[in-house]
Amino acid sequence: MDKNQESTFVKLIPFFEKYGILLLILIMVTVLHILQPDVFLSWRNITNVFKQVSWQSMLALGVFMVIVTAGIDLSVGSIIMLSLMGLAIASKAGMPWYVVMLVAPAVGFLCGLFNGIGITLLKMPHPFIMTLGTLYIFRGVGNLISGGVPITGFADEIRVIGNGKIKLESILGEGSREYIPTSLILMIVIFFIFWVFLNHTRIGKWIYAIGGNPGAARAAGINVNRILIIVYTLCGFLAGIGGLILAGRTNSAYPNAGLQSELDAIAAVIIGGASFFGGRGTVLGVFAGVMIMGILRNGLNLMNVSVFWQQVLIGSIIIIAVYIDVLRREFSTRK
Amino acid sequence: MSEEIVLEAKSISKFFGKITALSDVNLQITKGEVLGVVGDNGAGKSTLMKVLSGLYKPSEGSLFFEGNKVNLNSPRDSQNLGLEMVYQDLALAGNLPIGDNIFLGREPVKKMGPFNFLDHKKRKQLTEEHLAKLKINVKSADQKVEELSGGQRQAVAIARATAFDAKIVIMDEPTAALAVKEVGKVLDLILNLKNLGVSVIVISHRMDDIFSVCDRVMALFQGTNFAESTLKNTSRDEVIGWIMGKKD
Amino acid sequence: MKFFVSLITTSFLLFSGSLLAGSHAKTIMLSTKGPGAGNPFWASVEAGAKDAAEEFGVNLIILSPPQESDVMAQVAQIEDQIAKGVDGIAIAPTDPNAVAPILDDAIASGVPVVYIDTNGINDGVTFIGTNNINGAALAAQYICDNVPAGSDVAILQGMITQTTGQHRAEGSHKGLEACGLNIVAELPANWDTAQGMSVTEDIITGNPNIKAIFASNDNMGLGAIQALKNADMLDDVVVVGFDANPDAAASVAAGEMSATIAQFSYNMGYMGVENALKLANGESIPDNIDTGTVLVTAENAADFM
Repeated sequence: MDKNQESTFVKLIPFFEKYGILLLILIMVTVLHILQPDVFLSWRNITNVFKQVSWQSMLALGVFMVIVTAGIDLSVGSIIMLSLMGLAIASKAGMPWYVVMLVAPAVGFLCGLFNGIGITLLKMPHPFIMTLGTLYIFRGVGNLISGGVPITGFADEIRVIGNGKIKLESILGEGSREYIPTSLILMIVIFFIFWVFLNHTRIGKWIYAIGGNPGAARAAGINVNRILIIVYTLCGFLAGIGGLILAGRTNSAYPNAGLQSELDAIAAVIIGGASFFGGRGTVLGVFAGVMIMGILRNGLNLMNVSVFWQQVLIGSIIIIAVYIDVLRREFSTRK
Repeated sequence: MSEEIVLEAKSISKFFGKITALSDVNLQITKGEVLGVVGDNGAGKSTLMKVLSGLYKPSEGSLFFEGNKVNLNSPRDSQNLGLEMVYQDLALAGNLPIGDNIFLGREPVKKMGPFNFLDHKKRKQLTEEHLAKLKINVKSADQKVEELSGGQRQAVAIARATAFDAKIVIMDEPTAALAVKEVGKVLDLILNLKNLGVSVIVISHRMDDIFSVCDRVMALFQGTNFAESTLKNTSRDEVIGWIMGKKD
Repeated sequence: MKFFVSLITTSFLLFSGSLLAGSHAKTIMLSTKGPGAGNPFWASVEAGAKDAAEEFGVNLIILSPPQESDVMAQVAQIEDQIAKGVDGIAIAPTDPNAVAPILDDAIASGVPVVYIDTNGINDGVTFIGTNNINGAALAAQYICDNVPAGSDVAILQGMITQTTGQHRAEGSHKGLEACGLNIVAELPANWDTAQGMSVTEDIITGNPNIKAIFASNDNMGLGAIQALKNADMLDDVVVVGFDANPDAAASVAAGEMSATIAQFSYNMGYMGVENALKLANGESIPDNIDTGTVLVTAENAADFM
């Protein structure tokens, strides 16, 4: 590329880094509206998409923070299952609903803490190894405590997060069936909280610093191990909240809950623009990555396209998103 | 140059498993003094500096700041005592902007209720002021460090070490990656610091650096004190000899 | 940049857009546990469904999750089709408990549901499928008739968390016990061929005198046969599968697998669509429709290949 072309391209990069992904979503929504005019933008379908991605978005947000530190958490799918099992057992034991609801995020918190302590104290060469181990351990424990069979039937209060609806009759008039899913509200609140955390607090800044250069963080007096433990614990906590959402949605703690969801979470994070090398990415990007995958699946479902094509497409988008990241690094880093 | 000793390291040893990086090393520096530290690769210079900054804990020996014995648990502790360091590898997070790097670990915050939030405006303002004071030219204080040239990055590392009213500044090979003009700026800066009463420890393998700004030079060899002299009483040849382990 | 990504996504979506025509025909959704491409069982369910759709003039939508374990994908597919508008759903639930809420939603929205192959838990929903207990009992009877009393036998279970798995394990266990055989192992191999093989390897290592193995599905049975071949034991062991898929039928015809149980998976698809349509038209149907089982041996194996 000659100098002129390159500098224009380079100038546009920050713009696309921030807003390109929203543009992509806009395009997808437009295309799907054209292909499925009466359905895609219907209230029912849009709320479906949000309900479908809500639990996955929790996993993606947690994994995002971990990836920013240049780590990975492969166990989130298993954490969501174990926290769901914990919730179910507490429910069947007759505990009051407000305690039962807290069990899921509490179990997630403990799983994340376990991961964080293992990774730092045991000095694992890479979090991949610790969380690969806990991927099996957590699901195994979940199967042990449940006997490998589903535990079904929770109180309505417990299901409110995953299944609740805020009816809009007061605004839209009597008899209107439109509603806002509670899980969407939860998703927005949590994403907002973590956006503030990552962009406007010291610890948030340190998380990015650790991903960029852990040595620099140490030299700045940051206790890297402490921050890593915090990050993995928060990741587990978010997975636990995902479990609470699933409890609402399926009314069942079933053994295959969250199976292979860690891959979807990682995919959403990467599509959303976070760098696998660490130190880069935005909360908005994660939200967008989650939405892109959800909209894609929803659109292809509406059009009866075989799920195999969905897999091919999502995999292709991941590779393209990473390639774009590679190009960005080439152009913005001086050598 | 007063005789008040601001930093003293006594009998410092550092072991990494079976490897002895430092053995019974002593160092002291007075107020406003510029001390050069020389030695071949592996002599233990960077290790000694990291013990002084608190990044490493000494296996044996003690540190004294302004006469008081101190235990440093992290670089934060030495920073609080007024010691700043420019690391050989710069220790900058390339993915973060200049201001974020300068204030890493000590970001200005504003309190809202029980929470502390980053004060982005203040950080940017302080950064711009400091960069201007040091006459460092960059496109913007928000530029990410990875977009800067080697010389600019070095300048940022030095800016970080001089932004917090340090009493002692340690510089590990501050001119190694620089062009001639930039080297001059760094040496001028060291002299400025000296004039302000700041003590400076400079690790360098360039005799020009040592002989233009240092008051005293000490040599480490294979992890031990090898030789020491005021600049007046030694020569380039002698110091080069020290690096290679030769003494009269 | 992101434009390339959107370009590819867009062109792909345009390329794959396929809207079914027909505004008066009813639309029935067939939701299976896994794609027909991965399992001849579901392929034949789909074939039955398609024939019924053609015969009765129904718009048929066939969707399944990419893996039988992906419960949330099945939930999402049903949700999406309800939003789009279907008149009836015939579903083989991946996890009867976890899909129960969305099926309740469907019924509450006026979309009737029938279960095929695997029973669900929602009240008042018809089950169309194999009585797996009876089928497994049939297999156990065959083993009883073909090995000496008191012999060592083993059971390969499917996903024991699914009712199908539980019923086949239960039916075979009762039958084998009743005729005095010694059940030395009952282990899950999760419907998978490779797992069937490795579990069998473990079983025969510990029990070299084993005389029969009942595999809760053909895939595991074929895996078991491979393990027995490798150990040179195939001639001494009676292997009975379940499903009578074409590979198994060929194996039976070739004298490797001793027998299998045919389900009428085709019927499940056919009767599933037929009955979902009846419900959509306001007719009533029985609570339970047995699609039947039959023993497949070398004599009739050719019918199933």
